[in-house]
This record gives sequence, structure tokens and C-alpha cells, in this order.
Amino acid sequence: MRQRHQHPLETILEERIAIIDGAMGTTIRTYGMKEADIRGERFRDAGKDLLNNGDLFSLTQPGMICDIHGRFLAAGADILETNTFGATSISQSEFFVEDPRERGGRKDPEFYQKILEDQSLNDLAWEINETSARQCRELADRVGEATGRQRFVAGSIGPLTVSLSNSPDAEDAGFRVVTFDQVKQAYAHQVRALIAGGSDLLLVETIFDSLNAKAALVAIREVFDEDGLTARGKELPVMISAAVGRGGETMISAQTIEALWIAVEHVRPLAVGLNCSLGPDLMYPFLETLSQRADVAVSCYPNAGLPNPLAATGFDLGPADMGRYLSEFARAGLVNIAGGCCGNTPEHIAAIARALDGMPPRKYGVAEVAE
Amino acid sequence: MSARVETRPLRLSGSQPFTQQPGIFMMIGERTNVAGSPKFARLIKEGKFEEAVSVARQQVENGANVLDICMDEGMIDGVAAMTRYLQLLASEPEVAKVPFMVDSSKWEVIEAGLKCLQGKGIVNSISLKEGEEKFRERARVVAKYGAAVVVMAFDEQGQAASFAEKIRICERAYRILVDEVGFPAEDIIFDPNILTVATGMEEHNNYAVDFIDATRWIKANLPHAKVSGGVSNISFSFRGNNKVREAMHSAFLYHAIAAGLDMGIVNAGMLEVYEEIEPELKTLVEDVLLNRRADATERLVEFGETLKNLGTVATEKKAEEWRNGTVEERLTHALVKGIDAYIEMDAEEARVKLGRPLAVIEGPLMDGMSVVGDLFGAGKMFLPQVVKSARVMKKAVAHLTPYMEAEKLAMAAAGQAVKAQGKILLATVKGDVHDIGKNIVGVVLACNNYEVIDMGVMVSCEKILERAKAEKVDIIGLSGLITPSLDEMVHVAREMERQGFKLPLLVGGATTSRAHTAVKIAPHYSEPVVHVLDASRAVPVTTSLLSEDGKAEFVAQHRAEYEKLRAIHAAPKVKLISLAAARAQKPQFAWRGEDIAAPEFTGVRVLDDFPLATLREYIDWTPFFHAWQLRGVYPRILDDAAQGAEARQLFDEANAMLDRMIAEKWITARGVYALFPANSLGDDVALYSDESRTAEAARFHFLRQQADKPEPRLSLADFIAPRETGLADHIGAFAVTAGIGLKVLCDGFRAMHDDYSAIMAEALADRLAEAFAECLHKRVRDEWGYGRTEKLSPAELIHEQYRGIRPAAGYPACPDHTEKGTLWHLLDVEAKAGIQITESFAMWPGSSVSGLYFAHPEAKYFSLGKIDRDQVADYAARKGMTVEEVERWLGQNLGY
Repeated sequence: MRQRHQHPLETILEERIAIIDGAMGTTIRTYGMKEADIRGERFRDAGKDLLNNGDLFSLTQPGMICDIHGRFLAAGADILETNTFGATSISQSEFFVEDPRERGGRKDPEFYQKILEDQSLNDLAWEINETSARQCRELADRVGEATGRQRFVAGSIGPLTVSLSNSPDAEDAGFRVVTFDQVKQAYAHQVRALIAGGSDLLLVETIFDSLNAKAALVAIREVFDEDGLTARGKELPVMISAAVGRGGETMISAQTIEALWIAVEHVRPLAVGLNCSLGPDLMYPFLETLSQRADVAVSCYPNAGLPNPLAATGFDLGPADMGRYLSEFARAGLVNIAGGCCGNTPEHIAAIARALDGMPPRKYGVAEVAE
Repeated sequence: MSARVETRPLRLSGSQPFTQQPGIFMMIGERTNVAGSPKFARLIKEGKFEEAVSVARQQVENGANVLDICMDEGMIDGVAAMTRYLQLLASEPEVAKVPFMVDSSKWEVIEAGLKCLQGKGIVNSISLKEGEEKFRERARVVAKYGAAVVVMAFDEQGQAASFAEKIRICERAYRILVDEVGFPAEDIIFDPNILTVATGMEEHNNYAVDFIDATRWIKANLPHAKVSGGVSNISFSFRGNNKVREAMHSAFLYHAIAAGLDMGIVNAGMLEVYEEIEPELKTLVEDVLLNRRADATERLVEFGETLKNLGTVATEKKAEEWRNGTVEERLTHALVKGIDAYIEMDAEEARVKLGRPLAVIEGPLMDGMSVVGDLFGAGKMFLPQVVKSARVMKKAVAHLTPYMEAEKLAMAAAGQAVKAQGKILLATVKGDVHDIGKNIVGVVLACNNYEVIDMGVMVSCEKILERAKAEKVDIIGLSGLITPSLDEMVHVAREMERQGFKLPLLVGGATTSRAHTAVKIAPHYSEPVVHVLDASRAVPVTTSLLSEDGKAEFVAQHRAEYEKLRAIHAAPKVKLISLAAARAQKPQFAWRGEDIAAPEFTGVRVLDDFPLATLREYIDWTPFFHAWQLRGVYPRILDDAAQGAEARQLFDEANAMLDRMIAEKWITARGVYALFPANSLGDDVALYSDESRTAEAARFHFLRQQADKPEPRLSLADFIAPRETGLADHIGAFAVTAGIGLKVLCDGFRAMHDDYSAIMAEALADRLAEAFAECLHKRVRDEWGYGRTEKLSPAELIHEQYRGIRPAAGYPACPDHTEKGTLWHLLDVEAKAGIQITESFAMWPGSSVSGLYFAHPEAKYFSLGKIDRDQVADYAARKGMTVEEVERWLGQNLGY
């Protein structure tokens, strides 16, 4: 049986709205890094472009990454996300292994089996997770001590570059490039490394395919059980956050947010929420549904509006806009954890933190069962 | 138990949530169970999984809340079959919305099933048969995946048949699950075994009663737990007698539900309504079920014999009203709903109706996909549904393909050119690893009979272009999700231009946009660069781009749209002043009689069959070269290092055709023009019937600049003497064409497959019409008096170095096209010059020009720019239009 103990973050959530940090990817881009910067000595000879493999910066440009983490903490973030959104062997393989489709081949479970057995990819994934978690841990502890306000490290577990719900084969709707067990294995590896690096929480985020997310959640459960965390009462709280489209459904597997909540409720997460995809304005009705249905904390960290490639930052909403939107959500009693996703810089997070300061958190803990 | 807790409902999910409603029986579809349907079993054994999907679909259509899926059969590989079937169902949106029950006696099959469910399903089943340890272990696995579970009333000793055994085992299982495993009580569903009655064995007679009593006990004593059962077992001894079986099922359910049965595995389409069972049969059936008399079985068997050959009463329901629509409606419905059952039949009907297979694809099928696109764009359809629609489309296309092949063979035999199936190359650009969306685009395109070459992710520009050349593809599609990919797309576009590619380029992905494509990508490549919003839009775009008939129109429309987007983007947001302030700052002219020219006539004059040889002198050749994509100014372009040779050849050929055009009178130039007494009234100009200036013949309405700038705010009305000056001013109007006979001429060229000459003739007619306007303006200036002192060469005329202007409605100074209507009416243009205007105020024939003449020495061309709401309202009032109408016509000029 699961060990239930009050996590310090849960205590905070009873008192106020906690702030989660902003976007890593789009903030990195403001530093003007070049291909040579991400490669450093270590990846100098890599065959493919690495510049957009943002997680790698935690290894090759820790100064910059820690600067970003630090700025988010200074902006008032209670929860710092590790820079590990794509730190699995599967996602990293896209940057390091030749795509068989370039030569008319295809990606399938056989291809990904080799990826999962690739020692160097596994080692790299482990190193990114452990290093990033450690970097965040140190910063969070230092800033927490200096400011007298405890900060938390959320191990970021992204959605992967493959889907368990969708077939890329026009001839066969039943085909999948990867299996559930393979995805679960890659996630379990990531979870262990995030825990080893000192994460406080595990954050399964930007869910566009609910079956991918389920594999991550099963992986977490198995790691807790197999590694004795459950037995020692050391389970980490889990946060779950989905990326929904205009109709309020996960973008690839098309599951409505309420259906998703029913499917993951058994995990008894610390929080469930929405992030990325839609900007805050379009997210509102789905957040409202979730807030009515879920009897756990609700998180919300939207993009700074929908992507607009013609806007200077790539997104339309500025810090003041985000502050305004999220304080509206807070006023409506919809959120316990708030922050930003793509397009949200430390200035955005500071604006959100200011706007929510002193606002009461959403009440939860009593299930409001449908109908 | 003391205080009764409110029972927590069972909550499940597929892609949609499902919450059990109090008092409503949940139907679990049994036909997707190899034991529940011989047809399903046969399809699975024969490997016809896709056909087997339709069984699931039918169950959902017939109202099943949950689907029971079972592959337990000796000849079937359970793990593989369960996995494959559930993965196919995940791609069937209408089915995937409901929760699934993974049913097997083999644990590994259940685990395989759980790995395919994105929602919360039900495991069927676990039991204490193999002891408590196994039971706990399995319950924990179910909990790990977050499913509900059916617990059979079975233990180490065997199946519970009696009431006492049933409740003993269920209670024991409940306590283990709730107290030891921590399993949510509301997710426990007991199956206390529905066993067959009326077998002739006396000890079986109370089975139904035992089940019903056990149900009642469980609901009263095991909080939140649910009860389910396999209903058809009850009537197994009446196999072959559906009438009796249906009555037994209905009657049994009636009593079991009253006792608290929450759900049952049933054939959702075959349930008799309890009230409608005929009374005699109902009594006999209930005697058996409720064990009311010793001879109940014999009596029912006897009665049953008399009913045997009557067949099924409650036949499977079908909601098929949509089949009554037209073939076009049916095709659209099938695509939107993802129903493939009739698609081939309907495609065939449409083929016969429309004559050509391609007409079906480019017509009703494409229309249907556009509806899908609209619904998806509006958030009313989801991605899997779009993919499903595409798969239905694929079936229709597959049906039409042999006919298209036959058509091609026939064309080839007749010596005609045959167009091959479109080939599309897709790639996620260098630096970007995201491609799930692109894969979906690939599937949708492949379903539409395109050959899709997917190069995967992180593909460099060189590799993309190399492959495109090697494979001779028709279209390249680029995808990217992150912002840096946008720059890479620009790079690819540039490279395509540099390497002289001639194929369209498609752009898609989360951060891309239409505006960005128009502003940042398209300008770098001469061929169409089209932003594809989502997978649902990919097919209409590619079809248009590869269509022989539709391409030109699509490209022209697309270019105009993107040009507009660029203009909007380029326009800085201007600050506007109020209309009153703008009017106060109109140009201040000193109105003096000597500046007002007096024309030698007023009224309307017609120029029929105007000499083309004269017009030739007035041709402005620079736009002619632009029409042929040669950028430069005439006559310098003839000596241009890069394009000089080509320009010169084109110029020679044009003149050769002009020679013949004039000599052989291929086309006719006609025009009408007029001069009227006129004065301005505010921003309007009133035209009078005669010099007495009493009767108003017509009124033109103009708009005034409202931008916040130091210069005066102009309106064309400013160039006509205001009424209050008392000066006798005039305004002119004209409409000319050089397009009479052009269509016949060009059709003739095209019939001889001489497209080049057709395009050349059109380009020359356009130039002649413009030349006509210029030439006529010269004549009018002379007739107005002030032109006679001009000493200008035709070249100087072309550069408009003279007094007066001839602005046209729809151009920057007076962008409202509807003003043309006034002109047409005033000059009776259609009758006098043979030029029509369409509903959208376009002129036909195309090679036509119309406009107004202003003679004031200070008159000049200007651009209205943005205007504010106050002027739109004022203008609407002046014109007698609604504000909405005005806004529609002046969209580009609205500064709010």
C-alpha cells in the first residue's frame, strides 16, 4: 500500500498558490547560443545539429542553464523544473542516430529496441537527468536558505518524440513505432536518474498522448516499488499536466481532460493540470472542468499565448498579460500551482508571482463527483 | 453496517469520460468477444482484424457503454490478437470514446490489453481461484494501470453456485482488495456467476434466484462495490430459440436490476423490452427464473417449441437515416463520421453520376474533407477522427483507382499526355526532432492516393532537395515544431529558388503560421509557398496544386491572399484622427474661375471600334514584361545583361502578334466617356443633368484620409469646386475595353494547344486597354480645353506628366469598388461599350479600364490609407448601405 505522508509542498498548497517556473527552451534562445556552444569539446564531432537539443546545455553550458534556473527562483518560483524534457534514450536518439527514413527505411519497435539497448544513449540520458536535478537541487537549497522559503525541484518528464496511440503507416492503423514496454523502460530509466539527482517531485508534463503518459506513470509506480521507495515511505509526489487542443482534448490521442483525469486519478497525484499548447485565454474552460472534477491540487502553466512566429519572442503575451490571466484564474478559484510554459521568461514568472501574491488558493480535498 | 454511505459511482474512460448514472443499467457489448459472436471469432481467426473493428462499431452504435473484448480461443494467439485489435480500435474514434473491458482467462493477455488503453478500462477478471497471493498480486497490477476489475465468485474450491458460497467468496475478496491492497471499492465489480437454468437438473433451478439474492446482498453489505454478470448464460439451454432467450434475458435483467445489478454483458442490439414480452411467455419465463413451480422448465420448453421458427423479434437497430440523402451528402457524412461501410457503393454511384472518377475525388470527396477540415479547425473534430476520415477516403479512392487507370490507358492510347499520381516529399527540417504531426499528414496524404516519401526528422536542406530531384517529386512539404525551424524553412525556400526548383513548397507545424509563411518564407521562392494549417488541410491544398484544371485559380487566389497578408504586416499601425478633424484639415485651394476649365461638350460619347493602331502608340510596355515575370523597366530591360535576350525575344513576338491583331482585327476596342457639370458637397460630388445645375443626375461618394500626419487630409472630392463657390466645375467618367473578341481568340489558341499564344493575346489586350485609357484621357483633356497646350510625347504621357488624373474605383484613392455601379448606370456602359460588371464589381471582359476624370491643376493620385469607425458610419449613411456592408468592401482600409 502507498504511504501517505504530508509533503511540505502540500502544506504550502493549503496556504497559498505555489509558483512554478517558466520556459526553458524559449528562454535559452534569448542567450544567443550557437551550435559550437552546445557542442563544447565533448560533442564537437557529433554528426547532427544539436543546438535545439536544449537538455544538453545542462552538460555543456551549465553556467547559462543555472543562470536561467536562478533567475526563475529570483522571480519567485517555488517549483523549479529540471532541464530534462527530452532526456530519455528515445528522445535523445533523434539527435544522435541516423533516421532510417532518410534512406527509405522506417522506425519500428525493432529500431527502438536497439536504441533502448544503446549504452551510450542510456548513459547520456542518465547523466542529463542526474546532472540537471543536482544543479536544480543545489540552487533550490541555496536560494531557499537565503530567502527563508523552501524551493522544490520537479523532475521534468516530457511526452517523447513518439506516440503510442498513433500509426504513421497509411496502410495499417494498428501499427505502432514503439511498444508500451519500451516507452515504460525509457521512462523508468529517466525517473531513476531524476531521483538520484535529488528531485523532490516527478512531473509528467505536456501530455499530448495519454498512453505515453500512462507508461510514464506505470514506470514511476514500478520504480517506487522495485527500488524500495514505497517500503521506506519515500515515494515522491507526482504532478500530471496535459497539453490540450482547442476542443479540450490531448493533442494526439484526443482524450478529453475529464477522461484523462479518470484514467490517472488512481496515482493520487499531488496535482493535475494543464500546460503548454493553448494560451491562457483558450485554456480557461478546460481548466474549469478539471478544477470541478479533480479532488487534488490543480496546476496551470500555459504558453504565453499561441505561438506567433512574427512576434519578437515567438509568443504574443507579455509578462503583464500573463499576470492578469493567471490572477483571473486564481480569482475564479481554479488554481493551486501557477506558472508559464513556452514563451514565459523570468520576467513573466515574476509578473505572475506578483499578481498572485496574497490570493487565496483553490480549495480541494473533497471530491466533487460528476453529477 | 450502520449509516448508509452514498454509493460512489463507477467512473471509466475511453477518449471520453463515462460516469455510471444511478438507476441506469450499464450495457457491456459482448459481440467483440470470440465466445459471444461466431462472426467475430471467424474474423479474428482469419486475421480480418479491420473488418472485426466494424463489430465494435456496431456495438457502440447500438448503445453499448463498454465493450467486452475477449480473444480466448485455442487457435488464437491471445496476446498478439488483443494488442492488435485494441490498437486498431484506438484509431477508430467512434469506438475509442468508450471504455474497454479487457477479458481473458490468461493473465498475460490481460496485461497486454492494459498496455493499450489510454483511458480507464475494466479487467475481466481476477479471482481467488489460484489463492490469495496471486489474487493480491494481480489486483496490484490492475491498480497500477488504474483499471476497474471484475472479481469472479470463484475460489480455491471452485465456482460459487449457491447464494451462501457467492456471498462468502465475494466478501472475502472484497476485504482483501479494500483492506490489504487498497483497491478503490467503487472499482470492484463482482460477478457472482450467472449460471444456466432450465437444464433439466433440479439443483440448477434456483441459480437465477441465487444470483439475484447475492446481488442484493453485495449491494447492501459491501460498500461501493458493483455487480455484473454474463447474461446470456442464463438461457443457454434454449440455444437456437432466440425468442425465448430474449424474453429470458429481459425478464432476468428486470429482476436482477431491481436487486441492484449495475451492469451486464449483453448483445446491445438484441434486448427485448420487458413490458413488450407477451404475457403468456413472460409468466412461463418468470416461473423458470424465479423458480416458482416444479414444472416450470417443461412448460417453457413446450411453449418454446411453438415459437422456434419465428426468428428474432428485436432485431439489431440501425440508425441509417443518413442513407436517404443525395450521394454527395452521403459521401460527406461518411467522411465526417468515419463510416466506411458504404463508401465504395457511394463512390461508384458518384462516379456514374459525375462521369469521371477524378471528378468524384476533386468534387464531393474533397468537399467532404473540407468539412472535416472546418470541423477540426473549430475544435469539433479531433486528430484521430481526421485520420479515420482519411482512411475512409482511402477506400473511396481505391475504388476509383482502376477507373482512373483505365482512363489513363485510354488517354495514352489516344496519344494524350498522362499525369502520374502525385508524389510528395515530407521532412522535418534540420535541427528539429518533432514529427508526430507530420506523420499524420503523411498518412492523410497517402490515403488520398499520393505517393508519400517521408524522410523523417532532422533532415538537412541538401538531403531534402537531393531526394526531391532524384525522385522527381511534385511537392515538398516541410514540418517543424520549434521556433528555430522557421529560419531553416526560409533557408530551404531560398535554396529552392537558387537551384531553380519549379515545385510548390508546403509549410506546416505548430509554430508556423500563414502570416509568417507569407511574410518571411514565400518572398524567397518564386513558386507557390503554402502554409498548411493542419493535417485536415493538406489534401485540399495538394489536390488544388496538382490539379490540371484548378491549379491556376488556386495559385492566383493564394498569391493574392498572401500579398494581402504582407501588406497588412508591412502597414505600420497608424494613429487616426477624427473625421471632423480630418475634414477641417482638407487642402485649401483658392477657388478661382480662371483655374476651372470649361469643356467643349457635356454628355456621353461612344467610341466604337477604336483604331488599335492608334492605341499601340500608347502602350506602356513595362507592366507587360512584369506579366511575364521579367522584372525591369522598358526599354532598358531589352539590354539587360541577364534577361535582355529573353525580353527582346518576347518583345519581338509580342509585336509580331500585334501586327496581325491589328491587320486582321482579332479584337475590337470600344469605349464610352462623358463629361458632366459637377460640384462637391462635402466629401461627395454631385453630377447635374445640365448647366442649370438644378437636377442631380448622380452622386459619387468619396473617402478622406484620416492618418495622423502633417500634410492635408485628401479626398477626391477636394478636386471639384464646392457648391458654395458658385463655380461651374465638371467631372468626367469613362469605361474602355480592348477585350471584345478576346475569349473566342484565346479559346481557339487553347484548342490548338497553343497556350503560349493565348497568354500572349491576353497580355496584349490588357496593355491595349490601358493604352486606350491613356489615349482617351489625352482626347478628353483636349476636349476640356486645358490639354491642347500640352506638348508631350507618348512616353511622357505614359508617365502621366500632365494636368488632371483618372482614378479608378477599387484603387488606392477610392478603394470602394461599388462606386463602379454608379458609373455603369450613368454611362450605360454595358449597352454602349459591351463591358459588364459582376456581382463583385469586376469588369468583364477582363481587358477593361474604367475611372473618373478630374481636371483641377492640383489634382493628384494618393492613397486613402486607414480610416476609422466614424468615417465608415458616415460613409454608410451617405451611401445608404449598412456599416457591415461598408466594412466588407473596405476591409483593407479599416484602421480598427
